[in-house]
Amino acid sequence: MKKWIKKWLPVLLSGVIGIAVVLIGIVYFDFISRRIYEDSTGHLEEIYGQVNRSFGTFIDRNWGILNGWGDCFSMTPDDDNAEVAELIREEKEYWGFSEFYFLSSDGQGITMDGADGSLGLEGSREALMQEREPVMAGEKLPDGQEVTVFAVPVSHGIYDGFGFDAIAVSYTNAALARSLNVDAFSGNAKCFVVHSDGSVLLSTQSGGNVFSNYLVYLRAVSDISEEKLDEIRSDWESGASGLLQCRIGGVENCILYQPVGYQDYVLLSAVPRSVVSAGFLAVQKTTMDVLVVIFLLVGAAAAALVVWRSRNQSRKNQMELQYREMMFDVLSSSVDDIFIMLDGEHHGVDYISPNIERLLGIPAAEARENIRVMEKCAVNCDVVIPEKELAEIPIGGNRYWECEYMHQSTGERRWYRMTVYHMCIQTVAKFIIVLSDRTQEQQMNQKLQEALTAARSANEAKSNFLSNMSHDIRTPMNAIVGFSVLLEKDADHADKVREYTRKIMASSHHLLSLINDVLDMSKIESGKTSLNVDRFSLPELLEELSIILMPQAHAKKQTFEIHVQGTPPEQLLGDKLRLNQILINLLSNAVKYTPDGGRIDFTVSELSQAQTAQQYVKLRFTVKDNGIGMSEEFQKHVFAPFSREISSVTNKIQGTGLGMAITKNLVDLMGGIIQVESAPGQGSTFTVELSFALPEQGDAGSWLSQKIRRILVADDEEEICLSISELMRDAGVDVSWVTDGASAAEAAAGAHKKGEDFDVILLDWKMPGVDGVEAARRIRQQVREDIPILVLTSYDWSDIEEEARRAGINAFMPKPFFVSAFWQTLEPLYADLAVGKEDSAVETADRGAMEGRLFLVAEDNELNAEILTEMLDIEGARCELAVNGQEAVEMFERSAPGYYDMILMDVQMPVMNGYEATRRIRSGSHPEAKTIPIVAMTANTFAEDVRDAFAAGMDGHLAKPIDMDAVRSLVGRLLNRTKEIPEREG
Amino acid sequence: MKGRHISALLVTAAILTASLTACGGDTGQGQHITLSVMGRKSDMEKSYMTTIFEHYESATGNRLNLIAIEDADFEKEAADRFASGDVPDIFLHFHNADLSRFQIGENFCYLNDEAWAQELTDSARAYCEDREGNLLGLPFWESSVSGCYYNKTILDSLGMKPATTQEEFDVLCQVLSEIGYTPVCWPADGCTWMYQFGLDPVFADDPELLERLNQNEVSYAEIPEVEAMAGWIGNAADRGWFGPDYLRTGWSDISTELGSGSAVMTFIWDTWFYTDFEQGQKYGIDDFALMPVFMNTAEGGTYEGGNLNMMMVNRNGERLEAAKDFLAFCASPENYNVAFDGISTVSCFRGQTTNIQSKMVTDAQASIAAKERVSTAATRIVGYSADDVAAAFDSLLRGKTDAAGCVKMMDDARMEEARQYGADGF
Repeated sequence: MKKWIKKWLPVLLSGVIGIAVVLIGIVYFDFISRRIYEDSTGHLEEIYGQVNRSFGTFIDRNWGILNGWGDCFSMTPDDDNAEVAELIREEKEYWGFSEFYFLSSDGQGITMDGADGSLGLEGSREALMQEREPVMAGEKLPDGQEVTVFAVPVSHGIYDGFGFDAIAVSYTNAALARSLNVDAFSGNAKCFVVHSDGSVLLSTQSGGNVFSNYLVYLRAVSDISEEKLDEIRSDWESGASGLLQCRIGGVENCILYQPVGYQDYVLLSAVPRSVVSAGFLAVQKTTMDVLVVIFLLVGAAAAALVVWRSRNQSRKNQMELQYREMMFDVLSSSVDDIFIMLDGEHHGVDYISPNIERLLGIPAAEARENIRVMEKCAVNCDVVIPEKELAEIPIGGNRYWECEYMHQSTGERRWYRMTVYHMCIQTVAKFIIVLSDRTQEQQMNQKLQEALTAARSANEAKSNFLSNMSHDIRTPMNAIVGFSVLLEKDADHADKVREYTRKIMASSHHLLSLINDVLDMSKIESGKTSLNVDRFSLPELLEELSIILMPQAHAKKQTFEIHVQGTPPEQLLGDKLRLNQILINLLSNAVKYTPDGGRIDFTVSELSQAQTAQQYVKLRFTVKDNGIGMSEEFQKHVFAPFSREISSVTNKIQGTGLGMAITKNLVDLMGGIIQVESAPGQGSTFTVELSFALPEQGDAGSWLSQKIRRILVADDEEEICLSISELMRDAGVDVSWVTDGASAAEAAAGAHKKGEDFDVILLDWKMPGVDGVEAARRIRQQVREDIPILVLTSYDWSDIEEEARRAGINAFMPKPFFVSAFWQTLEPLYADLAVGKEDSAVETADRGAMEGRLFLVAEDNELNAEILTEMLDIEGARCELAVNGQEAVEMFERSAPGYYDMILMDVQMPVMNGYEATRRIRSGSHPEAKTIPIVAMTANTFAEDVRDAFAAGMDGHLAKPIDMDAVRSLVGRLLNRTKEIPEREG
Repeated sequence: MKGRHISALLVTAAILTASLTACGGDTGQGQHITLSVMGRKSDMEKSYMTTIFEHYESATGNRLNLIAIEDADFEKEAADRFASGDVPDIFLHFHNADLSRFQIGENFCYLNDEAWAQELTDSARAYCEDREGNLLGLPFWESSVSGCYYNKTILDSLGMKPATTQEEFDVLCQVLSEIGYTPVCWPADGCTWMYQFGLDPVFADDPELLERLNQNEVSYAEIPEVEAMAGWIGNAADRGWFGPDYLRTGWSDISTELGSGSAVMTFIWDTWFYTDFEQGQKYGIDDFALMPVFMNTAEGGTYEGGNLNMMMVNRNGERLEAAKDFLAFCASPENYNVAFDGISTVSCFRGQTTNIQSKMVTDAQASIAAKERVSTAATRIVGYSADDVAAAFDSLLRGKTDAAGCVKMMDDARMEEARQYGADGF
């Protein structure tokens, strides 16, 4: 209730005040109106009273004059017309009448000039002539002029022979009206002298009189009733005065009448009330103007105040709104939810949060223009803007949809829950759409799903792994254990012991390989694998691959060829060990899964070579076989761990199922790609693409220093001949080439005859007609022994090596031709020529290097220590054992200089590991602390392990299980070098 | 009175003598002649015209070849015939601006010396004379008085009376307007004649001024009364004296406006009430009376005399005398009284007795006698065109120009027209 009063009280008060003001105004104006009207009508009566009196005076004066003249004319002799005429003329000029008349009792009359002057006198004749009374009458002259006649009876007289009984003067009505001089009310008043019957004697109206009878006029055009008109007429006849108001022609008039006092004549005036009340109207107008001005001023002030307050409020509201909007913009920009407000009727965009550009890549302005642009980035949405469904949402209700959008620029996918709220404020409906970001939730769900899947897969893989391992480990272990039992049983049978031992060793190697792969894979997957980038020679790599793979392929009677396309750089920067591992894996698999007699092609091609300061080359390694191939399904997870296609063929092939996984991981680690194309029974093609940095080019060899200026090349493939020519031309060597063996022999002979022997002769092995060996035989018969003859071949030459050497061939070179390989092949030949049979001496030295040596062996495992002790013993060497690193350090420290020849250091040991022990030794005070060769002896066989060993100060690395050949070679090399290197730098 | 009778007898005798002489002259060998008479078809079909034609043929035995041209084609076809030399013995035409295209001096006789010329009323003769006072033809036509015809019944009922001066007329209009009447019915469309009423007194009362105007020594713009008239018309329209719809009404509306009592007065002629005023309305002919036209050019107002069709004689025709005899036959009282028996018209002949005079005219006879002017503007002003003048006033009434502009338009049109006819001084 109070609230209602508080709200409406000002309005009620305003209304009451307004009504009071209006009522006061009405009362005031009515009072003023009446007072002014009374004053005005009083003024009107006063004015026309004066007019009436003037008119009466005028009449009296005329009658008085006429009476005087009548007396005068009576006394004038009848024949003295001239005197009378002169008198009248003078008086006419003085008084201003228009004519003078002599009237007879029979109705005749003459003017002063003797002209016809008969007057009708409008029925007053009787009064004049019979009753001998002065009369006033209107008269219309023959020329149409209207005059007012004043006549008096006089004694009978004669003028110009005319007997008269009365005399009269006439005034034109216009002149008479002018003489009455009624200018009141600014000429807006009509003034008439009318007879009691209404007939108009004269009018003071400017322009003349157009009324014949004013009573008739009033009856016709005014709103005066007949009774009132009769009353007026009675007034006029009785000589009463009156004032009344009436409407004439729609205009309010005041009619005032006063008797003239003669013959029922009435002075009548008609004045528009507006004229009468002009004063009031002026006051009213002025009052109204003042009030209006006051109201306007007050109104304007109030309006200005209202506008000012409204604007102030509006500005405040606007500012608040802007701040809110700004805050909302800031808020929305810091969250990943999108807010949209749509017009309830046409669904136009009223607001859209600016973060839509950041989140969906749609400019806010564009979305504001047309919300449907969101359709462009909708991915899996049932609806983008559910216009049809909007109408179904009740006011106050909401609905939601799940949507997926893709960022227009980045392609990033985001998930949203679109909730639409239908709002209505003051009959204006709006839809507020909130796109709640569910991306993290979605991604988390996905990750959880993936993790779940991965966990399941891992479990499955683990199960498979355990199953596989169980099988794969048990199989060789079974052989080892079984044959060990048999060995013990048949220890006395040397042949059986050798047979069993060989099989145990084979199984052991397989088991070792299996363990290596598992550990390698484990290391890669744990992310601990890193690359050891160093300069390496591509030709060397290919040669090593050829050496490793060629025997395996040869064993299965497979054709294995290495091809080089283009001229890839020979020196590269990369992890040769890992590259070797990749390629051996691929090639080993090719050999394994290609039946006997199959074909394996290994091709190296250069894809691109960047011409930049830091130069790179991209190489493609392709291993193609015509083996058993793979199904399409298996290709999808050929690179997954423990993946082996199950078939009758593969079941017979040993493998861990980790090789391809390791390969893939290594390729990934090296930033390359690996692809496979295969079909069951159609063979497989593995392609590896890797980029290598190029080392600064050094001089491959001083050809000129060896005086190699001309060489002869023979190969049935012209392309190879041209390639070699081009490569050697760059080295400053001139190449002559032929395409068959006979021509080569002829060319060599011809050069020899000229005394211009070739400096080197390079022959392909397999050429049509005369092959390389035969050609060499023929050439060697012609040329000197010191001219090297080399055979270039892509085949395993071990079978013909003996024959070839007999034929005079100095060395073999694997295809493809590399300048560096060429030089590396030639260099020892020239060295041989210089140092003789040094080769065999070194071999002998290696073989004897072990004998008599004393090794300090740090090994915590008794079994391993025993095996090593026995093996060294077999080699004629001795050892002293330390059970941990600490003990090894102490034993070395205590030893006399030269007591130990070498330290073989296990790495993982209790108390002190091998690395720490090495560092202690190297930093110790023993005279040989810096020089004593220390070799790591560990099951940690990764490149990192080797690097760590060297970093700790070791000089070599031997992988467990210990291979005595490797031990022998390493010991030989280190002990020889030790001789050359006086002392290790601190 | 005696004098008038004697002269009438002399004229009759002279005409009969002339007629007999003519008959005898032309039929000396006992043969009748045929006269060609050309005129507007509707004019020649008037009853008094057909009566006189038949009467002539029966009385003289001569024949009349009546060449009645369709009204719409009349001016052009007649002019073409004249141009090709096909000029009739007798030619009927109003004395107006169009007559000048027929080379009056070359083709027609001046008839001042004809005996019947004395028989014409002054106004009729004045109408038929050219600027030099040459009598161009015999006015054998119905004649009417143009003035301000007002509804006397209404004025009487209002206790009002007709105006006698321009000021009174203005007051009358104002009072009528104030009480809701349309004082003057003034249809702007098609009522082209009204303007000449105002101009008549300007030039009829000052022949010298007319002469100077026709010599192009003075223009309308230099005559104050002309602009005063334009000013009054414009002012009257502005003050509502022509009613609210005067711009949308025309000739055909006058009858309704007056008959219904909506309008009280109009400027027209008496025969209009017998030919065009629709009977059976609230007010009939008997309710109307005549007062002068007030258009601020004559203080006491003015009436315009009749506009007459004249019979003109081919001065170059082979039957010149017979043609003149035909005119004398028509001007004979016993003949024209036969022809105009019962016709409502103002008399053109002094001895005309059988025609009927309207009460409106009869009642105003004294005023007419005092204030009538012969139709001067339309007949005497070189280059005058009722249509052109109406067009100028139409612009004024529609607010397109002021009084001075209206007068200039009148001047321009008049001068252009005069130049087209090759009038001297233009």
